[in-house]
Amino acid sequence: MIRYDVIVIGAGPAGLSASIEAAEAGMKVAVFDENTRPGGQLFKQIHKFFGAKEHKAKIRGFRIGEELLAEAEKLQVDVHLNAAVIGIHDFNSIAVVENEQVSFYKAGNLIIATGASENMVPFDGWTLPGVIGAGAAQTMMNLHGVLPGKKVLMVGSGNVGLVVGYQLLQAGVEIAAIIDAAPKIGGYGVHASKVARTGVPFLLSHTILKAEGEEFVTGAAVVEVDSKFQPIKGTEKHFDVDTICMAVGLSPMSQLLRIAGCEMKEMGGLVPACNEYGETSISGIFAAGDVAGIEEASSAMVGGRIAGAASALRDGFIMQGDFEEKYKALKESLNQLRQGMFCKENRGKTDMTATEEGIPLSNSLLEKGYLLEKEIIKFPGVKKKAGVHPIIECTQNIPCNPCQTACKFNCISIGENITALPVVIEDSKCTNCGMCVASCSGQAIFLLNEDSEDGFVSITLPYEFLPYPKKGVKGIALDRSGNRVCEAEIIGLRTAEAFDHTALLTMKVPSEFAMSARFFTL
Amino acid sequence: MAEYLDRSSDIGKLVAMPDDDMIICRCEEITKGEIRKAIHDGMWTMTEIKRYTRAGMGLCQGQTCSRIIKGMIAKELGVLPLSIDDNTARVPVRPVEVRVYGKGIN
Ligand SMILES: Cc1cc2nc3c(=O)[nH]c(=O)nc-3n(C[C@H](O)[C@H](O)[C@H](O)COP(=O)(O)OP(=O)(O)OC[C@H]3O[C@@H](n4cnc5c(N)ncnc54)[C@H](O)[C@@H]3O)c2cc1C
Ligand code: SF4
Ligand code: SF4
Repeated sequence: MIRYDVIVIGAGPAGLSASIEAAEAGMKVAVFDENTRPGGQLFKQIHKFFGAKEHKAKIRGFRIGEELLAEAEKLQVDVHLNAAVIGIHDFNSIAVVENEQVSFYKAGNLIIATGASENMVPFDGWTLPGVIGAGAAQTMMNLHGVLPGKKVLMVGSGNVGLVVGYQLLQAGVEIAAIIDAAPKIGGYGVHASKVARTGVPFLLSHTILKAEGEEFVTGAAVVEVDSKFQPIKGTEKHFDVDTICMAVGLSPMSQLLRIAGCEMKEMGGLVPACNEYGETSISGIFAAGDVAGIEEASSAMVGGRIAGAASALRDGFIMQGDFEEKYKALKESLNQLRQGMFCKENRGKTDMTATEEGIPLSNSLLEKGYLLEKEIIKFPGVKKKAGVHPIIECTQNIPCNPCQTACKFNCISIGENITALPVVIEDSKCTNCGMCVASCSGQAIFLLNEDSEDGFVSITLPYEFLPYPKKGVKGIALDRSGNRVCEAEIIGLRTAEAFDHTALLTMKVPSEFAMSARFFTL
Repeated sequence: MAEYLDRSSDIGKLVAMPDDDMIICRCEEITKGEIRKAIHDGMWTMTEIKRYTRAGMGLCQGQTCSRIIKGMIAKELGVLPLSIDDNTARVPVRPVEVRVYGKGIN
C-alpha cells in the first residue's frame, strides 16, 4: 500500500488548495478525483468569478482550476484523475477505483473535499427526458459542445440558475422564463440583470406543476404560489419548451465522512461538525469546501488552505507560530467573504430593505431582475461627469472587488471592506481604457460619454455573444428589462487579451436613452 | 441527531393522492404512493423505507431521492425533515462493477 502524509479527496478548489498548502509545507501529498479533468465545479464554469484577487476573482472558473492544478503539480502533488474514492477504511486508508481495479492508499491525514451534488424536486413528469439538472446542462454545453435543448424553462433563480441561464443564452438557446417559488431572486442582482437585459422574464412566486409530453418534454406548466407556497388556482401558465432545467440547490456529498464515522450536523444536508481548522471529530480527518457547508469557490479555496496548513501543523511540518500567522490571514480573508447581503446569516432573510450604505434596495431588481432608472441614480457607482466615465450598476453588498483593482487611474473605489458598493470617485479622470468593463464579473459596468455631438451619446457595454456585431452595423438598443427602446449604431468594438474574451461594444443612441439603453441586438 | 420518534403516535389514515403514481426513486422505480404506503405501514426512518421498498438502493445510492424521501416522511409524520435520520452511508459510494471490485480483494 502506498503511503502519503496527506490524502486529499476531491480536486475542486478546496481540495487543490489544501494539497498546495500541505505540499508547500513539505508534505507528500496525493489528490484523488473521479473526473477526467481537475477543478471540480470549476472546470465547467466559463464565467468570470467573484471575490478578490487572492481568490482569483475575475478569472474564468475553468482557468482557476487550471492554475490551481499547475501550482499543485509544480509542488509534486500526485494528482490521480479518473480515480473514484469508494470508501474509507481503518480511519486512514482509502479504497480507490482506478484503471479498472481497486487500489488502497494510506495517509496520516485525510482531507475530504468532495463538494456537493444537485438537488431535485419531483413534479408531474419530472422523469421525462428533457428535465435536467443545471449542472448537467453545463456539462453538455461547456464540456461536450452539445445543446441541451432549443428552448428552456429554468427553475431556480439562485446564482446557479442565473449563471447557467446566461451560459445557455450564450450557446444560442432561448430561455422562456426563469421561475422561482420564492418571492425574491435568490442570486446576485448583477447576474440576474445580465440575463434580464437580453429579454428573459423572471416569474417569482411560481412553481413548476408539470412537464408536458409523452416521450419527452414538449412543454411546461407553471403556477403562482401564495406566501405558504401553495398553488393559486387559475394562475396556471404554459410554456412551449423542450427542456426544463432544474437549479434548485445543492447538497453536500458527505457520505465518505459518515462512513469514516465523523460526527455530523444538519446544515442544508449533513455536514461534518468541524473545528475552526476544518478538523472533524476524528483527529486527522479534515473537511473543506462545499462538503463542509455549501458556499463559494472563493471560500472553498481559503477553507482548503486552512485544512492543508492544519494537517501540516498536526504532523510537525510547520511551527505553531507560523501556522497561527497563516491562519490569522486566511481567517480574515474568510470573514471578508462571509459578509454582505448573501452571507449565511442573511440567507433567506426577507426584511432587508437597504444596503450597508443605507441606500434602499431595488424591489424591481429582486423581483424582475433589473433596476429602474430612477433607482440607479441613487447609487455611488453612478455619477454625472464630463467625457467618458464609468456607470457602475452594482447595487448589492456582494463579496467582490475586481473593478477597484482593474482601474489603474483610481476612478473606482470599494475600500477595505470587500462587500461595500463600488464608488466612482468624484474628481477622477477616466481614460476610456475599458479595463473595468471587462473585469467586472457581474457585467455591471458601462462607459458613458454624454458630450457626444448632435444629440447622440455613446455607451460602451460588455458583450459575450458570438458573432460580434461589426462596426457600422445598425440594430436595436434594449433597456435593462430587455425592451426595445431605440435604434442604435455600433461605433466601436474592442477586444484584447487583457479583456479575456469580453468584448467592449460601443453603441451610439439618442441622448434621451443615455441612462436606459444597456444592451444591443440586431 | 434525530429526535426520538414516538412510534405510538397516530399519523392518520393513508389517503390516496392524485400524484401517487409519480416516481420518486428513479433507479428502482419506486412511486410516491408506494413510499407513502410504507410510511403508513410503520416505516418511519430512511433505512426502513430503503429496506421495505428498495427506494435509495439503486445505482445512484439515493443521491437524488434521499432528500425527497426525507421530506415525504417528515410531511406524513408532521415533523421537520431535520428530525429524520439519514440512511447509513456505505461503501462503495460509487457504483463499481463486480469484475473490478473483485480484483482489488486479494
Ligand atoms: C453554475 C455555478 C456557478 C458558480 N459560480 C461561482 C462564482 O462565480 N464564484 C464562486 O466563488 N463560486 C461559484 N460557484 C460555486 C463553486 O463552484 C463551488 O462552491 C466550489 O466549486 C466548491 O468547491 P469544492 O472544492 O468544495 O467542491 P467541488 O468543486 O464540487 O469539487 C469536488 C470534487 O470532488 C470530486 N469527488 C466527489 N466525491 C468523490 C469521490 N468519492 N471520489 C473522487 N472524487 C470525488 C467531485 O467529482 C469534484 O470534482 C458556482 C457553482 C455553480 C454550480
Ligand atoms: S475605463 Fe479605465 S480608466 Fe475608466 S474607469 Fe474603467 S478602468 Fe478606470
Ligand atoms: S461592479 Fe465591481 S463589485 Fe460589482 S460585480 Fe462588478 S467587479 Fe464586482
